[in-house]
Amino acid sequence: MGHVDRAREFVRDESRTKWHDESLWFVRAKRDDAADTVPDWEALRDEAATIKRDALSRLPDLWRQFETAATEAGAVVHWARDAEEHNQIVLDLLEERGFRRVVKSKSMLTEECGLNPFLEARGIEIIDTDLGERIVQLRNEPPSHIVMPAIHLKRSEVGKLFEKEMGAPVGLDDPDALTALARKDLRKRFIAAEAGITGVNFAVAETGSFVVVTNEGNADLGTALPSLHIACVGLEKIIPAPSDLAPFLRLLARSATGQPISAYTSHFRGPREAEDIGSPAPAMHIVIVDNGRSDLLAQPSFRDALACIRCGACLNTCPVYRRSGGHSYGTTIPGPIGSVLEPSRDPKAHAELPHACTLCGSCTNVCPVRVPLHHQLLTWRAHLAEGGHHPTRRRVAFGLAGRLFAHPRAYEILTKAGRRVARRLPTAWLDRLTSPWTEARTLPPIPARSFREQMRARARQATKGPR
Amino acid sequence: MRVALFVPCYVDQLRPQIGLATLDFLTAAGFEVDFQEEVICCGQPFLTAGETKRAAALGARFVDAFQHVDAIVTPSGSCAATLRRHLESLVAAPAAASVAAKTFELCEFITKESACPPLSRPFPHRVGLHASCHGLRELGLGTPTETRAATRIDPARELLSRIPELEITSLDRRDECCGFGGTFSVEEAAVSTRMGLDRLEDHGRGGAEIVTSTDVSCLLHLEGLSRRRTLPFEIFHIAEILAASALGHDLRASAEPR
Amino acid sequence: MSARDQILAALTRHPAPPVEPARPESRPEMPANPWSVLEERLAQNGGRLVHSHSGAWIDSVKWPCEFAELTHVYVAKNVPESSPTPPASQLSPTAHLSTLTSRGVGATAKAMRDLEPLEVTVLYADFAVAENGAVWHVPASALERTAALLAEHLIVLVPASSLVATLHHAYERIALAETRFGWFLSGPSKTADIEQSLVLGAHGPRTMQLVALES
Ligand code: SF4
Repeated sequence: MGHVDRAREFVRDESRTKWHDESLWFVRAKRDDAADTVPDWEALRDEAATIKRDALSRLPDLWRQFETAATEAGAVVHWARDAEEHNQIVLDLLEERGFRRVVKSKSMLTEECGLNPFLEARGIEIIDTDLGERIVQLRNEPPSHIVMPAIHLKRSEVGKLFEKEMGAPVGLDDPDALTALARKDLRKRFIAAEAGITGVNFAVAETGSFVVVTNEGNADLGTALPSLHIACVGLEKIIPAPSDLAPFLRLLARSATGQPISAYTSHFRGPREAEDIGSPAPAMHIVIVDNGRSDLLAQPSFRDALACIRCGACLNTCPVYRRSGGHSYGTTIPGPIGSVLEPSRDPKAHAELPHACTLCGSCTNVCPVRVPLHHQLLTWRAHLAEGGHHPTRRRVAFGLAGRLFAHPRAYEILTKAGRRVARRLPTAWLDRLTSPWTEARTLPPIPARSFREQMRARARQATKGPR
Repeated sequence: MRVALFVPCYVDQLRPQIGLATLDFLTAAGFEVDFQEEVICCGQPFLTAGETKRAAALGARFVDAFQHVDAIVTPSGSCAATLRRHLESLVAAPAAASVAAKTFELCEFITKESACPPLSRPFPHRVGLHASCHGLRELGLGTPTETRAATRIDPARELLSRIPELEITSLDRRDECCGFGGTFSVEEAAVSTRMGLDRLEDHGRGGAEIVTSTDVSCLLHLEGLSRRRTLPFEIFHIAEILAASALGHDLRASAEPR
Repeated sequence: MSARDQILAALTRHPAPPVEPARPESRPEMPANPWSVLEERLAQNGGRLVHSHSGAWIDSVKWPCEFAELTHVYVAKNVPESSPTPPASQLSPTAHLSTLTSRGVGATAKAMRDLEPLEVTVLYADFAVAENGAVWHVPASALERTAALLAEHLIVLVPASSLVATLHHAYERIALAETRFGWFLSGPSKTADIEQSLVLGAHGPRTMQLVALES
């Protein structure tokens, strides 16, 4: 099953589709209001976009610089070529210390690497502490959105889940009460945790610092208590200097949720202060992950996608995403940016995704770092066609049409005959012949004469002169 | 000024009256209009389907046919957008750039040349204007709700607002995509349908009797949905409304098959 | 070849073309009414702004209950003393603060975990950022960080004279290379993960008051 089938399934539930669309449109509208409060919004996008592209042009230097500074600050830096290496490094860090209880704040990278199932299979309890992530973790499903992982669920569904998992009273669906339950449950886990894993929003080369942004404070709580902090960072997350953080932080929360800034914007540099006597010394380990990023960098048409700061704005504005739901994409990252990124990993498996798009271009306009998303999706279509990943029927149909349009005579004869037949057929037959266009649409009456024929008629009239 | 009219295949076959309205309106605006029978397609459907070579072949035909005219005008915003944005990268011929630059959507051209004939006949209808994504975001006709860059005029709105007694109705989402999207409309028919119906509902809330646009493909999609559900909308291309006001074209007569 | 060297080599093989960052000529200046901008932005994040005279902040903030009834309060060492004007409060705040502080504070991990029923944490921030409704705070210790997160209510004091216009100005003031941990705070801990409805107090504080101290 691909996007087409899953989307069709999702859309079948009309009221849920509309609810989903409205929820996300609400976030998009908040983003618009937030952008209105920033007088230099477009200039800021230019700046953020070019800082990222500058960084992408000198990744090796910046990461070396980061490594030196972070090491100086007392962190240990690891390098992982792919998901397996990443997962193994994390596992080793935990096993060396005999740690079994881990809390994790939101990180699309660990999602991409499949860290949770990997650790769980090895007897380690790993708890997602972001409420939305926790909800989908308990439901055993992937997030459907990169910022709002449980946006596809209704409160009653969360209520039912908490009934099963946290002993919530039957029928409880008040978000305040449900959040309070999760808070209580997670508080225990924070306090019991031996290690905290976080993602990284921005890594700063000059200082070896990194920034993690949350609204819940879960990344901070998850790293303030345990002695071990593991930060997992994708190669694209580096920026040169501290002052470069400003444009991104002015854009990020506003683009993501319409907030002026997230509640917690935490800057880490090295392990936390030692305060315990007799407990393990605090340690910070940073795992830098490639997992396909250097391959993407090697593709000039798509490397700009590495500038993405995972704000989710392109998902919220995408008229298709809003109506097909995040799970319809079948990928770690759904929506426009996912449809650009995922085919670079496996073009065959994700050949449908660049077509799950009307090329409306709204994503490109909201993107705070100006990833030319819809043009990249268009480029993907060409690459996929060339790579032979498109269905044969499409290629054949377009092959015939292409030849027809290059031969006006043949076009004339065939269309004329076509229209003549179409005008005689009963509507139901015609609809069947032109399905799937007519699956939900009715064809207009077919004109007897085409524009070209009418033009010729006009010309004949003109030469005959006025009557 | 000599202007070439480009009428793409689906207008030719399914909505010839839009081509005629465009032609007559341009003539009324004082242009000498040529029609080139030989060019049927700008290549857009091929480009968006990933069939770049075929798009390029059709683009080359386009450049060949039109390189010597002053301007090329089409009632299809998305064709104009395809040519303007992509022709140069598709076609190596040196004329490609200039052909791309002188291809215009009808309202864009009329506004640019300040050549609108008097829109004197009243059009006493509530009209919903559908912003075609390609016109809006690729040609820059109007200001998308996402952007905070300087406002740009929307020629279509500008022209409609000059017509006596025509009321442009409001929308909750004034530039949401209708869901046509070329092959998307058939490959992702379910989502495409939902998107189109949502647009029509929005137009309904605003009280539109007529839905119009600068793009024929969006309109064919919306019209098909409206017909299937017998919704109370009439769908006309903006050229038809302009020709009705400027020249007294009878909208409903021309909408019937001949 | 190590993973590190392989990755660095892979990145070198297909470098992206150099790009000069597009730096704007100027940054937005301080708005005419910076504190009301901050107040509005902070309110969007669920926080509340309070103006106070430096020596009397205890009287200016909203306490969850009678001040005298609070039992678990963490007050950062750098928080200035406050002497509320009687008869609004009959408290002798400094005395209270010191006793309350010592009650909440411990030096071991156990004590950190014992912060759990913490009612209020009071912090002193370096400066505030008008455009984002945020303050920059460098906790004195991981304990202080924890106290900021575990408390039901968070109060952050900041000198009114420290306000800057935007984050660009903010980073000019921050010495990140010397900062083990520092954060921008804006509003309480929150989530909207259930049907987009905003809930304050996701994991940490349910309320956040920012007190602008006039000296
Ligand atoms: S591509 Fe742009 S809009 Fe989409 S998530 Fe990334 S940064 Fe945000």
